[in-house]
Amino acid sequence: MRRSGAEVALSLAVLALGAGVALGTAFLPAQAGYARIGPNFIPAVVAFGLIVAGAFLLVEALGGGWRSMPEPAERTEHALHRGAFAWISGGLVAHMALMQWAGFVLAGAVLFACVARGFGSARALRDALVGLALALGVFLFFVRVLNVSLPGGWLKPLIGGV
Amino acid sequence: MEAFAGLLQGFDVALKPINLLWGFIGVTLGTFVGVLPGVGPALTVAMLLPLTAQLDPTGALIMFAGIYYGAMFGGSTTTILLNTPGESASIATALEGNKMAKAGRAGPALATSAIGSFVAGTIAVVLLTLLAPVVVEVALKFGPAEYFALMVFAFTTVAAVLGASTTRGLASLFVGLMLGLVGIDSQTGQPRFAFGVPELLDGIDVVVLAVGLFAVGETLYVAAYTSRLPETLEKMSGSIWMSAQDWKRSVPAWLRATAIGFPFGSIPAGGAEIPTFLSYSLEKKLTKHPEEFGSGAIEGVAGPEAANNASATGVLVPLLTLGIPTSATAAILLTAFQNYGIQPGPLLFQIQPDLVWGLIASMYVGNVILLVLNLPLIGIWVKVLSIPRPMLYAGILVFATLGAYSLHQSWVDLATLYVFGLLGFVMRRFDIPVAPAVIGLILGPLAETQFRRALSISQGDASVFLTQPISAAFLAVTAALVVVPWLVRRRRRLRKLG
Repeated sequence: MRRSGAEVALSLAVLALGAGVALGTAFLPAQAGYARIGPNFIPAVVAFGLIVAGAFLLVEALGGGWRSMPEPAERTEHALHRGAFAWISGGLVAHMALMQWAGFVLAGAVLFACVARGFGSARALRDALVGLALALGVFLFFVRVLNVSLPGGWLKPLIGGV
Repeated sequence: MEAFAGLLQGFDVALKPINLLWGFIGVTLGTFVGVLPGVGPALTVAMLLPLTAQLDPTGALIMFAGIYYGAMFGGSTTTILLNTPGESASIATALEGNKMAKAGRAGPALATSAIGSFVAGTIAVVLLTLLAPVVVEVALKFGPAEYFALMVFAFTTVAAVLGASTTRGLASLFVGLMLGLVGIDSQTGQPRFAFGVPELLDGIDVVVLAVGLFAVGETLYVAAYTSRLPETLEKMSGSIWMSAQDWKRSVPAWLRATAIGFPFGSIPAGGAEIPTFLSYSLEKKLTKHPEEFGSGAIEGVAGPEAANNASATGVLVPLLTLGIPTSATAAILLTAFQNYGIQPGPLLFQIQPDLVWGLIASMYVGNVILLVLNLPLIGIWVKVLSIPRPMLYAGILVFATLGAYSLHQSWVDLATLYVFGLLGFVMRRFDIPVAPAVIGLILGPLAETQFRRALSISQGDASVFLTQPISAAFLAVTAALVVVPWLVRRRRRLRKLG
């Protein structure tokens, strides 16, 4: 008998999502026109669907695990590498925060270096420089050639942008 | 004959030098990005979407058709040389393809997949050309009730019938449908689930979801679970040309696979995965060299690759004629249309025949470009594979975040992207299919509109879906698809017990 705590937790998350949508639906106006149904009808259907799917997942999870999952032997995986996950997540969050004031190029260089580090690269300075060059090239192409506006940030006096 | 006239008109558009150039750029970029390990066609198309911001619709869509084909071909190169199928439709190719590469026959494996893709792609485009006007003719008679029933059919096949588990497929579909609710209700202007965030009032962009699930989620998964495993890249050694024997064994496999792949793609049942495996097992049964299966049989590469391409082209039938995407990649192509304010469907064939037929004609051209470009350039594509993994994934994420950010120039899209990345990570780890979520997001709001329109016309009488014969037929088939397998399983279980 296989039982996975994570599967139970995910099933509960789907159920909770359904409950959340149901709650949100309760606050939507009915406004039924000719159709006799308003903007709250389909959300109610979706809430119902999420709750049913979550309930089935939970029943499977508690009764021996989700059905037809790949066998552990079929998976080519090593144990969860927390550091890798943390570096990439951190890189994405830093990128989000840096984008508005440091600008696209510097944010991109930081993201690049963090992701490379997450994949086990040990040469942070080289990665940051490669990232800088890549982000700068992309920036110039998008801003100058495609006329897409991207934030220049701290480098704005040098490279332009918004 | 209508098809023939349309196609001639289309070639007029597609053979303009500028459109040839877009097609050429599309195929090259698509192949380049598609070769990158871990990047499948859906992600390739999503990541390259911002590039078309300044193009006219015809040029942009022709470029996208090229990207679509290029990405498919690029993906198979990676699958064969690296044994990392970028998407489920390439798994069958990996079975024999990688074995051939290990045995020093990487060249013929790549050649049979390239030529097979060309053959299957071209036959499939011919079938598309002939079939599209027929479907359009029927679809012009569809009202909202028929469209709604058809969409329910598509939801059901994508979520419940394909894939390992109906339960997980449905969960994924409903998460996508839920995301589709976010934003302003198109019928009444009522904001729903936007929590007062202006960026959310516009709704959630399919590109953000697709890039989040496929790029961010995949990167997180690979880094956390497989990045510390050793990886072997097979060398491209020996001739890339196929011997007479290889040809003799490949040609029938290509043709059979096209016959399997195209219908699977064109009925709104999406997914190239099933036809590739069907083709694989058919070739295994028919082969005169059964001993080679498992150690690199060329039919086992030729068949699935051709099936994959034929079905990818087949998917364009419901997309272009009905506006219904049945694969994640088609969902993103539909976004590309919508970005230009174009809604694919039967009316598009009447309003903008230049555009539709130009696009179809460009696929003939695209297939040829793909063939002449890829066989000689295979050495370059192989070099792309040796980019160190840390650099590769770092670059992918720089482009992925760019795609999301350039939508509204807002960090909210970056935050949404990260949340979808976490979702994709979990879905990947727990074998929850992502395509139903992507299709639910884009098709959900369209289905809701048709549903409410149908009820408006019938003054709220819900029986309209069952009294219209076409709608009733679709719903009946849908119900059968869900109920019959369940009954069969139940009977089997009862028999075992009793």
